[in-house]
Amino acid sequence: MPEQPIDVLDAYRQSAGLSHGELWLRYFELGGMSTGFELETFLYGLVAPESHDHDVIAHALNERFTELGRDHPVAYERDERDERDERDSLDS
Amino acid sequence: MTANPSSFDVITTTQGQSTVLALRGRVEHGAAFELGALLDSVIERHPDELVLDLSELEFVGAAGMVAISNAEKRLSDLGRALIVRSPSVLVNRLLDMMEIAEETRRELALPGHGPLGPEEEGVPSTARDEPLPSPSSSDPRRVMALPAHPDVVDGALRLVVELARAFVGGADGVSVSLLRHGVLSTVAASDQTILAMDADQYATGEGPCVDASLQGHWFHAASLETETRWPSFTPRARALGIKAIMSSPLNAFEQPVGALNIYSRTAESFEIKDQQSAAVFAQKASVILSDAGAGVSETQLASRYKEALRSRKVITLATGIVMEREGIDEEDAFSALLRQSLSHGDLLRDRAQKTVLSARQPEVGPGRDSDA
Repeated sequence: MPEQPIDVLDAYRQSAGLSHGELWLRYFELGGMSTGFELETFLYGLVAPESHDHDVIAHALNERFTELGRDHPVAYERDERDERDERDSLDS
Repeated sequence: MTANPSSFDVITTTQGQSTVLALRGRVEHGAAFELGALLDSVIERHPDELVLDLSELEFVGAAGMVAISNAEKRLSDLGRALIVRSPSVLVNRLLDMMEIAEETRRELALPGHGPLGPEEEGVPSTARDEPLPSPSSSDPRRVMALPAHPDVVDGALRLVVELARAFVGGADGVSVSLLRHGVLSTVAASDQTILAMDADQYATGEGPCVDASLQGHWFHAASLETETRWPSFTPRARALGIKAIMSSPLNAFEQPVGALNIYSRTAESFEIKDQQSAAVFAQKASVILSDAGAGVSETQLASRYKEALRSRKVITLATGIVMEREGIDEEDAFSALLRQSLSHGDLLRDRAQKTVLSARQPEVGPGRDSDA
């Protein structure tokens, strides 16, 4: 699997044309609980967010991409995990 | 300005295969040449990796940034890496801008954390056992965009102007116009002619700079000899020897607040790649402006926060309703709402609003989504 850059979320933020402050506000709007400083550490890949937090950030970015007429490029973690769980329960 | 404005010290150390240059002090215009020569002399020795530690650096001007960028190009030609350690927020933004053609690795400083090693993995798939950095960080700017002092913003924009002039092909002059209190004015310009160019546009109320600032669109006049859109302004520009203009809108909080204007004395001089570079500079300058809360009145900011609080409340309520209906925990309920909004193509807050409304009308019954 190709290695992803450590600050992949921040690259998405830049491509979405959002400042850190704007992205934090959108994340907060969706129920995000982390501070702006913590959010920056997640974006730069210095600290890994919990899957739930990751998905809130991913969704804040994806809603912005929708506004820009683009697809949803940022993957969700819990979807993948849930699909894995479903596959596992079907296998067993 | 101090008596000796261009003073900086360098401490050179070798760590394994890396050469580390720790810069301390101020790299102003005059010292940039010195910095460039120093970087060249280190690169001559072909280190596997060159680390620039900026944690003690107080200031670096545009010429210094160009010296760093040149060093990066030379290293990348040699297949070697430049690592910039602990850049300030502003230097980091400027490095972002100069990444148009190349990549530099950045190691941001975190309180209580050493800089990440070069062998650090990509995005981790499992939670790490590192403690979170202290959330009680006292820098309020990091928590939300609060308006910065206009002088700080103007200083950053002056650097953007210098960098755009150095990097965008065909650029003979660059300026940044900003709307402040409803009035358009030039906050940074590379020379007097450019300042006059902007002033002529404000005076006539027309021109690419005015249109980009007010309409939020990109304007390119490839040749003023044949340009017909701005009949009052164009003759004045031609009289000053300007033949082509590109104006890119600057946005803060998604509203136009100004323009990045690039002027050329040669017609048809902006090629596609120059137009793309201009767009990148404008986008990065917009991020500086947004971070600084520029162009956003306190009333607008307050209403934006109020709106965010309202959405957050609806989403929280809807999450609670899904928890109760499905007998699941909060995070699963949020995921369920998220999946519904994705499958219906709704914004999450609109989906949440529907869920809340459906809870108020229980007799309607089976109409609610069962795909949660």
